[in-house]
This record gives sequence, C-alpha cells and structure tokens, in this order.
Amino acid sequence: MANKTVLIKIKRQANPESQPYWEEFELTWRPGMNVISSIMEIAANPVTRDGKKTTPIVYDSNCLEEVCGSCAMLINGRARMACSALIDKLDQPITLEPFSKFPVVRDLSVDRSVLFENLKAVKAWVPVDGTYDLGSGPRMTPDEQEGAYPLSRCISCCCCMEACPQFNESTGFVGAATISQVRLFNTHPTGKVLKQDRLSALMGDGGIQECGYAQNCVEVCPKDIPLTKSISEVGKDVMKKAVVDFFRQ
Amino acid sequence: MASSVQTSPRIGKGVPPLRAGQGNSFFWRRLHSLSGIIPVGVFLTEHMISNFAATNGPPAYNDTVKFLTSLPALIVLEWVGIFIPILFHAGYGIYIWWRGDNNVTDYPWQGNWLYTLQRYTGIIVFAYILFHTYTMRFTGVHLATHPDQAFKKVHDELLHPWAMAIYVIGVVTASWHFGYGIFLFCAKWGIATGERARKRVRAFGIAVAILFMVLGLSSAYSFVNPKNQVPANSAASVNSSTQSGMTQAPATTDNQ
Ligand code: SF4
Ligand code: SF4
Ligand code: FES
Repeated sequence: MANKTVLIKIKRQANPESQPYWEEFELTWRPGMNVISSIMEIAANPVTRDGKKTTPIVYDSNCLEEVCGSCAMLINGRARMACSALIDKLDQPITLEPFSKFPVVRDLSVDRSVLFENLKAVKAWVPVDGTYDLGSGPRMTPDEQEGAYPLSRCISCCCCMEACPQFNESTGFVGAATISQVRLFNTHPTGKVLKQDRLSALMGDGGIQECGYAQNCVEVCPKDIPLTKSISEVGKDVMKKAVVDFFRQ
Repeated sequence: MASSVQTSPRIGKGVPPLRAGQGNSFFWRRLHSLSGIIPVGVFLTEHMISNFAATNGPPAYNDTVKFLTSLPALIVLEWVGIFIPILFHAGYGIYIWWRGDNNVTDYPWQGNWLYTLQRYTGIIVFAYILFHTYTMRFTGVHLATHPDQAFKKVHDELLHPWAMAIYVIGVVTASWHFGYGIFLFCAKWGIATGERARKRVRAFGIAVAILFMVLGLSSAYSFVNPKNQVPANSAASVNSSTQSGMTQAPATTDNQ
C-alpha cells in the first residue's frame, strides 16, 4: 500500500494563443483524494513524473463542495466538477483537460463569460429595481417553490454546454443552463413580467431551436437539474408565443 | 486592471452568445421539425399502409395503385405534398447534421446515441429515397398511366437480392427515423414535457417504428412470395414467374 501512486496527465497551455502540451504527474496515494486536492499537491511541488521542474497548474476553484461552479473541466474526457471527482473512482491515468468549447485562459482555466452574456440576453433576473419601495412581492405557493427550487440550484458551471453536441461555434447555441433559467424566472411571480422578452430572445439565432435533444446536458449536470424538462416546457412557451405573434402582430 | 473591467473580458473566439431576437433560424428549424411529421410522416404512413395491400396479392395492390394514381392533380400532390417537403427536410437536415458535433465516444449515453442515430438514419433514408424514386417513379413503367403493371414492376425489382437488401435497409431506417422523430417532435414542441410523459411518447414512437418495420418488411416479402408471382392484367405469359427477368424487358419498352 505504501507505494501506491496516482498518475495524472494534464493538458497545459501557457496562454490563450500558445500551443497546448501534455505533462504527467505522479502523486503518492492518500485516502479521500480528489482532483482539486491533487492539483493543489502538484502546486506545492510542481515536478513532473520524470523529475522536471515545472510551473504550478492554473485552474479555477473556490468552494470545494460543488456549489460555486468554478472547477469544471474535462476529467477523463468528460465534463464534470473537479472538487467532487474522487480519485478512487477514476480510471488511471487520469487525464485533465480544459473545456474544449471555451477559450482557454491558461492551463485548465477557461473563459466561460458566454454564459453570463446569454443570461443577460434572456434577462435572467427578477426586475425589482426602482425609485421607490415596491413593497413585498406576491407569495409563492409551496408547489411553485418546489418546482422552482431545483432550477435555482444551477451553479453556472457550463458542463451542460460543454457536453452538448449542439453547443459549438457554428450553431452558437445558447445551451441548456440559460433555457432552464428562463423557465425559473418565467415561473417566478414577479420575474414573469419579463416572460415575453425572454421567450422572444430564445427565438433568436442560437436559440432554443438548436437543441437536438441529445439529453447529454441532463446527464452531465452536477446539480441534477431537470434540464430536458425545462427545454420542453420553454419550447412549448416559445412555440405558443410564435403562433400567437404570427396572428396578432 | 480596474479600467478594463467594464468591457467584456472574453478571450479568443469561443461559442458566440445568443443573438436575441435576430435571424430566422427559429422558423426554419421548427418548420424542419414539423415537415418531418406533416407532410413527410403522413405520407410515409399512407405509403406503408398502401403498400401493405401487396400482402393481399397482385390485384389488390394494383387496385390500390390505380386509386392513388387516379387522385386529382396528382402531379401537384406529388410535388407539393411529397417531393418538395422531403427535399427540404433532407436538405435542412443535412445542414443541421453538419453543424452538430458528434460526441458519443465521450458521452456514450442512450439519448446521445439516438441523437447520432437520427442523423445517420436520416442520410441513409434520403439516399434510399433517391434510389427508390429513381427506379419506381422516374424510370421503367410509368405507373400513373399503367397502374396494372405496379405489382409486376416492384416484383421484378425486388427479385434482385441487392435491391431487396436496399429495400430492407430503407424500410428499417425510415421507420426508425420517423418513430424516434415523433418523440423528438413532441419533446421539442412541448407536447410532452415531463419525464414520464416523454418516456411514454418515446415508447409510442418506438412502437410506431416497429409497426412500420413489420408493415414494410411484410409488404416487401409479398412481392417475392412465390404465391403472388402472377402478374395480373399483364400480357405476359402465365409462367412468367420463372422468367420474369426476360419478360421485363419487352414489357418495359412497350409501355414507355
Ligand atoms: S438536450 Fe442535448 S442538444 Fe439539447 S441542450 Fe441538452 S445536450 Fe444540448
Ligand atoms: S444547468 Fe447544471 S450543468 Fe448547466 S451550468 Fe447549471 S449546474 Fe452546470
Ligand atoms: S470548487 Fe466550487 S464547485 Fe468545485
């Protein structure tokens, strides 16, 4: 047991423009290791498997308990959160790569601001700002709360987008997370005043129509958000609006 | 640093954000989805049922063809109801396929496999349809004017093992593409939204696919079933079943 080791291959890239390359690291096995704790260990002693000194790996992480959404990466080729990826449950050598559909900042850190842009494009917020106190909002029934709560757990990790076969540069698809947030805010008693705006936004190029219903998003989502149900529900609303607009506008 | 915070910090290209309210891909993509059901799916259903008449023997089949070819404005029906919708569905479908990324190796899940399969079956069915309309509609005996030759025409073609193999592939892929397409249509248009509802619709779609395979394959078999090898209403001799390859040539030239 004493000599048990963990083999990790990491795809590195010095800056957004440079070529990626692979480095291998070998760590001593300890109980309860996860991918983030392993990269931390490499940072403490950045030496590759063949003894070459290197730079620490750049990566994003924060909460270390799968609630902040920052540590998403490709682990053995699949999009998932590094802080909840236990070493003992992974096939070795473990490969770590940055997301393939987002611009690399450096090493495992990628720029996921496209999700933020998409959330802005669909007005994924409850409009309560104003010049005077609007008073308390309408009450939500326990039923509504129960429907909304799972949707509100999205951590903006972008796993659903990375794994989606339709999310790429040629479709410019908005991705499941944003569609699900549209459902969340459209069902909110105050948020729904922007419902029509959100639905028309999703009819734009790259909108909900690009979904091919491969259902990878719902499989890969670390927060088990019912994304395919969101896509169908919002799909229905968008379709209704399209038909109504056709006859009324 | 602080001065640049206001601008979008995006590095490189990456996937562009949603173009809210721009373009008309929504219309075309939904039209593509609809066209798979109406009219292409409706036509497929009619075609499967009509061809099933072959299981009742040559006269029943020829009568069905006679009825169909006697419909008013046949050429308009064909082009507006069948050819143009199929060409659009196939053309736009290929465009959709070309823009998607296949990733079943990294994400080998059922839904993803079926997503991929929908693209491959689509292209196979389209290739099959090109072959099928070429041999059945645009070459050989013209069935709109000679419906009594219908059974014989199909029979002669299916006697070639290669043609039969192509038919089997065509029937199986078309049935699957349509059956699973029913599920995709209902899921995307929000006709079935919940987990259980979508499962039911998927089971229904798969049942339709299997039913169509059974219909299509049993129809194909009846054309080569020895019991049915008498070309009705044709001038050919009674023993033509053994020489169909030889009687085919004069019959074809006669009717051109
Ligand atoms: S269902 Fe498939 S195509 Fe649609 S968003 Fe999810 S992964 Fe993408
Ligand atoms: S929906 Fe799920 S996978 Fe997508 S960003 Fe939110 S938490 Fe991540
Ligand atoms: S570090 Fe927050 S989700 Fe992994």
